[in-house]
Amino acid sequence: MDPNAAYTSAAGVLQLIPEMIVVGGAVFVFVGGTFAKSKTAWSWVAAAGLAAAGLALWTQKVPGGFAGPIAVDALGYTLRWLVLLLGGVFVLALARPAAAGQAPEVTGSLLLAIAGGMIVSVSGELVLLFVALETISIPTYVLLYVGRKDSASQESAAKYFFLSILSSAVTLYGFCFLYGVTGSTHLAEIARVLQNTSVAAVADWGPLPDLALVLIFVGLAFKIAAAPFHFYAPDVYQGTTHENAMLLAVLPKVAGIAALIRVTTLAMPLAAGTGWRIALFLAVVTMTVGNMTALWQKNVRRLLAYSSIAHAGYLLIGLAAGFAATLGPQGSRPEEGLGASVFYLVVYAFSTAGAFAALAYLGSPERQVDTVAELAGLGRTRPVSAAALAVFMFSLAGVPPLAGFWGKLSLFLSALDVRSSPGLGASRQTWFIVLAVIGALNAAVAATYYLRVVATMYFLPPAKEPRAEGGGAVRTAGGLCLVAVLLIGLLLGPMLIQATQDAVQASAPVPPPKPAQQAQIDGAPPSIVR
Amino acid sequence: MFDSALPILLFVLVATLLPIGMLLGPRILAPRRQTAVKAMPYESGMDPIHDTRRRFDVRFHLLAIDFLVFDVELLFLYPWAVARGNASSGVDRAVAANLIDGRGIVFVGAMVFIGLLLAGFIYTWRKGVFEWR
Repeated sequence: MDPNAAYTSAAGVLQLIPEMIVVGGAVFVFVGGTFAKSKTAWSWVAAAGLAAAGLALWTQKVPGGFAGPIAVDALGYTLRWLVLLLGGVFVLALARPAAAGQAPEVTGSLLLAIAGGMIVSVSGELVLLFVALETISIPTYVLLYVGRKDSASQESAAKYFFLSILSSAVTLYGFCFLYGVTGSTHLAEIARVLQNTSVAAVADWGPLPDLALVLIFVGLAFKIAAAPFHFYAPDVYQGTTHENAMLLAVLPKVAGIAALIRVTTLAMPLAAGTGWRIALFLAVVTMTVGNMTALWQKNVRRLLAYSSIAHAGYLLIGLAAGFAATLGPQGSRPEEGLGASVFYLVVYAFSTAGAFAALAYLGSPERQVDTVAELAGLGRTRPVSAAALAVFMFSLAGVPPLAGFWGKLSLFLSALDVRSSPGLGASRQTWFIVLAVIGALNAAVAATYYLRVVATMYFLPPAKEPRAEGGGAVRTAGGLCLVAVLLIGLLLGPMLIQATQDAVQASAPVPPPKPAQQAQIDGAPPSIVR
Repeated sequence: MFDSALPILLFVLVATLLPIGMLLGPRILAPRRQTAVKAMPYESGMDPIHDTRRRFDVRFHLLAIDFLVFDVELLFLYPWAVARGNASSGVDRAVAANLIDGRGIVFVGAMVFIGLLLAGFIYTWRKGVFEWR
């Protein structure tokens, strides 16, 4: 952007036209729903709104840097496209439940949550980021609650509500410390201030940057359901529908990882010494807890919930590698790990959304598929749905040549690419080799329960008459996810990995500091080193 | 040192004296005709000490939510009203400091905000919140 432009400029605000269209669509649906009693029209309105937003996004320039509080860079642009495409999948998947219940409220809330996800992607400022995160959460409470009267969904909505509020409070507490240290809520300014590693400044800050980092990490770890902050996810997913679980498993995870990359990795290079340790620890614990617990699950939504927890762990591998690489030595590429995380988000989102869509299609509005055993014999009775679900399971397990394979490959490679810098922190490389090995072992363990689903479908006799009355819309949603998973797996994988890494590289708020300077503050808190 | 602590001292002083005054004033001035209803903290309201799970009319809840529409409106429009004509630290100052690129964007922002609240108002209106059924 023009460096002389005002902080809040018309040109900057106009960058948000796609989001404005989505919010405008939501308002239209909410208000229009009180005048027209149609059940099905609102999903079409939502789809049209998303298409218009897509068109606006397509014509948008990506100048890079910041337009006031808005990050108009390649990373934001990439994530916005991801959220928008996923939004299309959500609208399709929720079309049937919306028509069965309070259509305007469901569709409107969904559009608001999608807009929130898009704004998180472009937030270059803490207050905007927080408001955007809440714009995802608050409509989600409504979605979990509306149109369903059983006690399980009430429990699920209440649990999600309280956990989400707690996570928001902790995140905000971290933001407060960050603001207290740097005197700014703008990420570029925060990054600039935190790169001042003079003795006086560092002594003045004390442990506050690290404290801010820990609090932000904890708060956002709730959002992405990373262990030990994951315990709500299985209960909430189990208590709700497949369609809602799809939204919960995907959208907060995209937003959480986007926020983590923006705030912690790109804006807080000083705290990287603490950052990579937290991310690495969380990654190992989350992967292991998620996968080990998933082995025992009989309820299919619980199984996918623990699977989504495990995938939060994989996503954190890239974050840890990105953090460690900001510390040098010379030639380290932070964008490798961060780009791998963003790419893995794409892969995970479409695989998981597809799996939930397939399961939603296999049920009926009255009774949904609950246990893995109900999928028995699907390979013969519903060959197409079974094949699609198998593809999603293989992709989540990371079997080549599907999308999940490229995702895991790029993450593990980024971990193996981390180099120790001379002096302190020489053991860093070893830690990351261990991380990659644990990740690979986890992928092998995870294959057990994914393959169990596939084996149930193909090698067991049909349990009972399959229903498969989910409707055409959710089938289309699943089909789109299938196309995405196959396309990324067979054709676009390596290209997209490169593209996300380029996007992250182009989006660091300020150029990374010189490695020589960084080597000193690696490892221990800076005040101790000096 | 003392200068910077003075406001806090004044605050503590006021915070202590105000409730003491509010308790002492009625004790000296007010007539005392004690009945069961008079003894309640809110003469015309609900009994404040009761089971937390007591049921109350859901219409109160809807009205409370709708009150927020106007409450939030005031929260945003009041600073705007104060800032637009204030030369020393208002909108003009922000334009001069290159924080915003013109008065127009502030106006448009406020209008969009009012429009969104209006949409919320129409929604609750059409949903029948104002009809005391």
